[in-house]
Amino acid sequence: MNFANTPRFSNQGLRPGSQLLLCTLASLALLIGDSQFGLMDRTRDALSVVLYPIQRAVNMPMAAAAHIGEFFITQTALKQENAALRSRELAQSARLARLTSLEQEVQQLKALNGLRTGSLQAGQLGEVLYTARDPFSYKIIIDKGLDAKLAAGLPVVDERGLVGQITRVQPLTAEVTLIIDKNQMVPVVNQRTGQRSLLYGYGGGVEVRYLPAAADIQPGDLLVTSGIDGLYSEGIPVAHVTRVDRPAGASFARVLCQSIAGVQSSRYVLVLPPRAAMPPRPEPAPVPAKPKKKKDTEDEG
Amino acid sequence: MSYDRPQELLKPVKRRFITLTFALALMMELLPLPVGSTRWLPDFVGLLILYWAINQPRRIGIGMGFLIGLIVDVSTNSLFGQHALAYSVTTYLVMLRQRQLIMFNLGQQALVVLTLMLANQLIMALVRLALGSAFVGASYFLPPLMGALLWPLLTKLLLLPYRHHTL
Repeated sequence: MNFANTPRFSNQGLRPGSQLLLCTLASLALLIGDSQFGLMDRTRDALSVVLYPIQRAVNMPMAAAAHIGEFFITQTALKQENAALRSRELAQSARLARLTSLEQEVQQLKALNGLRTGSLQAGQLGEVLYTARDPFSYKIIIDKGLDAKLAAGLPVVDERGLVGQITRVQPLTAEVTLIIDKNQMVPVVNQRTGQRSLLYGYGGGVEVRYLPAAADIQPGDLLVTSGIDGLYSEGIPVAHVTRVDRPAGASFARVLCQSIAGVQSSRYVLVLPPRAAMPPRPEPAPVPAKPKKKKDTEDEG
Repeated sequence: MSYDRPQELLKPVKRRFITLTFALALMMELLPLPVGSTRWLPDFVGLLILYWAINQPRRIGIGMGFLIGLIVDVSTNSLFGQHALAYSVTTYLVMLRQRQLIMFNLGQQALVVLTLMLANQLIMALVRLALGSAFVGASYFLPPLMGALLWPLLTKLLLLPYRHHTL
């Protein structure tokens, strides 16, 4: 029996209008509670654990397909890749040898000068579980979480450069906010000139803001992390400058950039370990005596 | 494909079947699809909610739209209540005119579905803008179009298990 068209004989439950009112109020409360006060983080953690096996199961056919694809790769392709990798390794080993000697030198110099040395630990490899379908947030979920002792704030890189930062840690998964997210900014330094600036994500891309119109910056400049924020270690490549507009009458240049890392395409990412604790900020300078008091004394006198 | 509403007698729809369709649609949301595909892939859960609200209004109403919206919020990692709000508003709009909608042929229904899916996206965009996200561009309104184009196919597909005669 198709009872889509049979009328309701008895009035069951609330009327549609009041149902809608209830649901709207509930969802508005949830929205505000979630976005402004972070009330739903616990629930999100619990649900993420429930969803984890389903995500894994859904990922399985894709992973299997990739596996089969790898199995049927031709020998010529393998040989080509092997040759390319070998030449890259050769080039990199030369650089690495130079780098290790430089690193030793730097450590010695730092030790001589009594400066604190940075940690040299390797990071943890994470696999991208899925990218959120929500087009408003530029976030990815990786398969390491509290179980791998990750914490919010750790930088995430891929083989080319900075991808983003861990913003939420759940028991088995962690959420990485990409550098192109609207609320994400990275302190960078221009490798050519040494000028420090802030790289802002604007939802889909990155740009340098608040750089004076006369600043020395050109298309092709490499921006790397400056390391003065205490979060990112210095020297991680972040973005290339693609276009510099200096509109007449505006005091800031408009600098468009292209991120170097495969921000939305890399499948494996590396979570870098936290930096050694920074020394506390110096106390703010004492506020000079207020001129108001002076006036008072003058009035009295 | 004829766009007329199927006139034959159908077997009763089982609750199990409705649950299964939603489970499949949610699995689609969780699939690690290539990055560009979200620009045009329709919101399958939203389409299914409209389908069942039009065809089985006793089973999928405003409350169910709200609950399923919450599940979608979790699985797409968006804000809590975003999809829930959009789905409960659109199911309410369906409920207002359900008797009429069920009489429409599939082409007319597809037009209505297009408007409702656009309303879905509009509500979500407004919510996100109000809470301080950047606007993602006009391509955000492309998925509803794809959804409306798929509507006749979806209807035929979901009716298949309930025909007495096999095709």
